[in-house]
Amino acid sequence: MAETATQPRRATQIVSEDDVIRVEDLRLNFYTNLGVVRALNGVSFNIPRGKVLGVVGESGCGKSQTGLAVMQLTPSVGKYEGGRILFREFASKEPVDILKLEKNGPEMRSIRGNNISMIFQEPMTSLNPCYTIGDQISEAISLHQTQDADEAKKRAVDILQKVGMPNPSRIAESFPHQLSGGMRQRAMIAMALSCNPTLLIADEPTTALDVTTEAQILDLMRQLQDEIGTSFMFITHNMGVVAQMCDEVAVMYLGRVVERALIDDIFYDPKHPYTISLLRSIPRLGANRGEKLESIKGTVPDPYSTVQGCPFNPRCPAAIPGLCDTVMPEEIFVGDSHTHTVRCHLYT
Amino acid sequence: MEPTRNDILLDVRGLKKHFPIHAGFLKRQVGAVKAVDGINFYIKKGETLGLVGESGCGKSTTGRALLRLHEPTAGEIIFDDPKLGKVNVEKLSKEEMKKLRPNMQIIFQDPFSSLNPRLTVGAIVGEPLEIQGVARGQALKDRVAELLQEVGIRPENMTRYPHAFSGGQRQRIGIARALALNPKLIVCDEPVSALDVSIQAQVLNLLEDLQKKYNLTYLFVAHDLSVVEHISDRVAVMYVGYIVEMAATDELYYNPKHPYTEALLNAIPKPDPRRRHRPMRLPGDVPSPANPPSGCYFHPRCQYAQDICKQDRPPLRDIGGEHWVACHFAEELKLQGVTKLNELPLIELPTRQVPVAPGASPTPATAPAAAE
Repeated sequence: MAETATQPRRATQIVSEDDVIRVEDLRLNFYTNLGVVRALNGVSFNIPRGKVLGVVGESGCGKSQTGLAVMQLTPSVGKYEGGRILFREFASKEPVDILKLEKNGPEMRSIRGNNISMIFQEPMTSLNPCYTIGDQISEAISLHQTQDADEAKKRAVDILQKVGMPNPSRIAESFPHQLSGGMRQRAMIAMALSCNPTLLIADEPTTALDVTTEAQILDLMRQLQDEIGTSFMFITHNMGVVAQMCDEVAVMYLGRVVERALIDDIFYDPKHPYTISLLRSIPRLGANRGEKLESIKGTVPDPYSTVQGCPFNPRCPAAIPGLCDTVMPEEIFVGDSHTHTVRCHLYT
Repeated sequence: MEPTRNDILLDVRGLKKHFPIHAGFLKRQVGAVKAVDGINFYIKKGETLGLVGESGCGKSTTGRALLRLHEPTAGEIIFDDPKLGKVNVEKLSKEEMKKLRPNMQIIFQDPFSSLNPRLTVGAIVGEPLEIQGVARGQALKDRVAELLQEVGIRPENMTRYPHAFSGGQRQRIGIARALALNPKLIVCDEPVSALDVSIQAQVLNLLEDLQKKYNLTYLFVAHDLSVVEHISDRVAVMYVGYIVEMAATDELYYNPKHPYTEALLNAIPKPDPRRRHRPMRLPGDVPSPANPPSGCYFHPRCQYAQDICKQDRPPLRDIGGEHWVACHFAEELKLQGVTKLNELPLIELPTRQVPVAPGASPTPATAPAAAE
């Protein structure tokens, strides 16, 4: 393929031999009484096997909905308007399109919680208060892995041990309210890992936790990732957590991926004005004390409205009048990189 | 603590707030949650004191007890009021307290629950003016409009209700309400933790601008150490209802003297992928304030703990240069603070360029090639 510098290469696919998941042009609308919310407007990304992809963005950018869509857990008012989610369990296996599967059909149920599992933000509301931790973990194990109840119990205790619970057999007998926030999140992680998933989706797993607990949980997840080699989709808004955890990053804004790159490029060579502004607006330890923080002007637009052209143009400091507010930029590769894509007119 | 000096606006001594635990048929008191357990600190005029700690350490309770939104169990809160002189807030009657209130205001954490959904924005911001009898009628409206302008909300929005505003805008309305009576001290109780990063920066900048303009003094309660570092002149660290360290911001961040401060600073995820690190192990969980450990509350989790730590609770003492520490070994320990993040460049925003291939799009009429 002969490409010149003036002809930007359209980034439809980042080359990767073996993706655990490949999301292509995913569109999701919510039809509500107040109007249509365009939650996802063509989201594309892929997660290479064994890698950690960070999905970052401000609230309302669709990052959680993307995670839920991969599990087919989208609320019933949501309708998929297009796109594919290709999931490949092993490198040798044919990929399956998750969106083609029936939501509560046997195939989806055998994937959900078994091959793909999820850790939610709020550990208190995502654990059932009426059952012990052990019961909840062994439920998933006996559904997917073994018929033997005693064996499932034993495995539940093992996995609790693995996530660093002191006294795992006692914890297995406890109810969620008897545990602290950090312990509950550990229990959630244990539950998510109980069936050795191929892909683990973590939706803001440490946002509700204190900083010392957060550090412990991140350390634990990194350690488990090294050991088991699970692929991660790590949804967060905290750039510090992204820097510490992820291999690749997808930055989202208003239901679109605006920039995709390896972790180092996102922090040292970001291209999209949104990514740059986001990085400039975080207070950094020991760097910009006493100076003014840079902020992005305005706010994320109302979800019911649609923005003409590039969704970021009303807030963008480098917007080109006449172009950015009329034409939606294509996602293109930056320079001759094969891993760094951006959706911005500045680079076309 | 040293005698009250003239540059001190608020001097808190031995402040305690215990919440009783009732149990059994007769609802007898069986214990107490010692949310704030005898803390001493002071805030100088015009400065920002950051108060940090993990959830449940009593930092919000402290902020509220200062304004007597929680009635303190014990202690002195000496406030230097410009009209009334030095007064002990804890001893004031209801009427006297009302006279003092204009000088002490609070901004709450959650912008969604701290504004009355049934009142218009104008009524919310005007309410303190009405209660204190400062302004009425047109004068009230003018003042409210001025306040809204000050925080960056268009005055036309006065007749709208809070639900019509985003989180950041609501927080601005909360700030306008706190500013209404020209206070001296504002307790900011996690004012940015419910906001997105880009909005967080806007609100922090607003708070700093207002501080300069009106010579405000802030008690800034937060759990985000990067935010606190950015805005504070001095920082106090709380652990289970007790201040363990208090010093000037740079001193505290670069030269911590309490093992808990060191662990906290170490745990912050650094926004630099080239500097990944394994955090220090801090075993166990924060103890319950209803049943704290003996001696120094931090000793079961402290890697430097010795026998004396299990028996004696160290007092908060000045180890020189207004660096207050509550640790038996503050002088001996070599603790690590924050290292400067100078490798990570602050990326410049791209400037406008003439698009090379606009494709089917209309070519911009003017090409702002040399915008900068």
